Amino acid sequence: MAGRDYLGEFEHIVVLALLRLGDEAYGVTVRQEIEVRIGREVSIGAVYATLDRLETKGYVKSQRGGPTPERGGRSKRFFKVTAKGVAAVNRTHRALQSMTEGLGFARSYA
Amino acid sequence: MKSPSGFAQPPRIAVWLLNLFALEEEGESVLGDLLEEFSILASKSGVSFARRWYWRQTVKTLPQLAGVGFRSAPLLTTTAIIGGFLLRKLVGPLVGPAMFAVLEWCKVYERHFTTYIFFASTGIDIAHLVTFLVIGFLAALAAKGREMIATITLGFIFASMAIVAIVYVVSSTGDSAILRRFPWYASDSFAIVIAGAIVKTHRLGASAGPSKA
Repeated sequence: MAGRDYLGEFEHIVVLALLRLGDEAYGVTVRQEIEVRIGREVSIGAVYATLDRLETKGYVKSQRGGPTPERGGRSKRFFKVTAKGVAAVNRTHRALQSMTEGLGFARSYA
Repeated sequence: MKSPSGFAQPPRIAVWLLNLFALEEEGESVLGDLLEEFSILASKSGVSFARRWYWRQTVKTLPQLAGVGFRSAPLLTTTAIIGGFLLRKLVGPLVGPAMFAVLEWCKVYERHFTTYIFFASTGIDIAHLVTFLVIGFLAALAAKGREMIATITLGFIFASMAIVAIVYVVSSTGDSAILRRFPWYASDSFAIVIAGAIVKTHRLGASAGPSKA
């Protein structure tokens, strides 16, 4: 089902972090957003591996910022969710909602 | 540890390892992000806490970087690995006979028998080690930016083959003398990885733009 894929668990979390951060989404902010909201330490490598995979699928796009001194002269790589990415998030949400509908245990987690 | 400018610096070995495994563009983002968070943590929670955090991030990030490197060019990386493997299979059996041919030609055994014994035993092991190092260089050069994943995989394949062969010989003959050869087999595999690290470090040096720390 090409183009009708659902997002994986961590992909889903990363895309939601990008949507929350808007124009300020780059490695550090994405990692911190996930850490603060989920309460689990995430490696920067895992974030970039997922972002690269999402970019290959066309769900996100990246753009380089200018180099900054606090980063040792290295530039930031900013990420944005594409329309295809938003559609994938919606599809995944609908699938999860439909799967949990009517299950008593799901309500206890709400 | 603080730099001459007074800013806390992340652990050098960790930075070097990240540089070894990262693709050029990926490395710029990952190292920049880690340095930015390291500086914030060092000023908030102290340099030793920040260094421990940096090491933790490095250990978790290295396999991811290796995976990204492979996925971005699977054909190139696989070709470099298979090429290195076939080259070793082709050249490996020639090392011993070549060494004996040279010793024969120089007539070493007539004049310096102890030297002859050394080259006919340890000398062949050293020649094998050098052969593995050269194969590691060639595989790393072919892998173009994915030196570490190519050479580590190659080293792992040869180390696994050596372990299987040793276990088979020991279990079928009951003679454990071959176990003494294991350090040499392990060094051969290690030499391939060292070659990968040398090639990548050289490439980083050649393309150094901004400071890598």
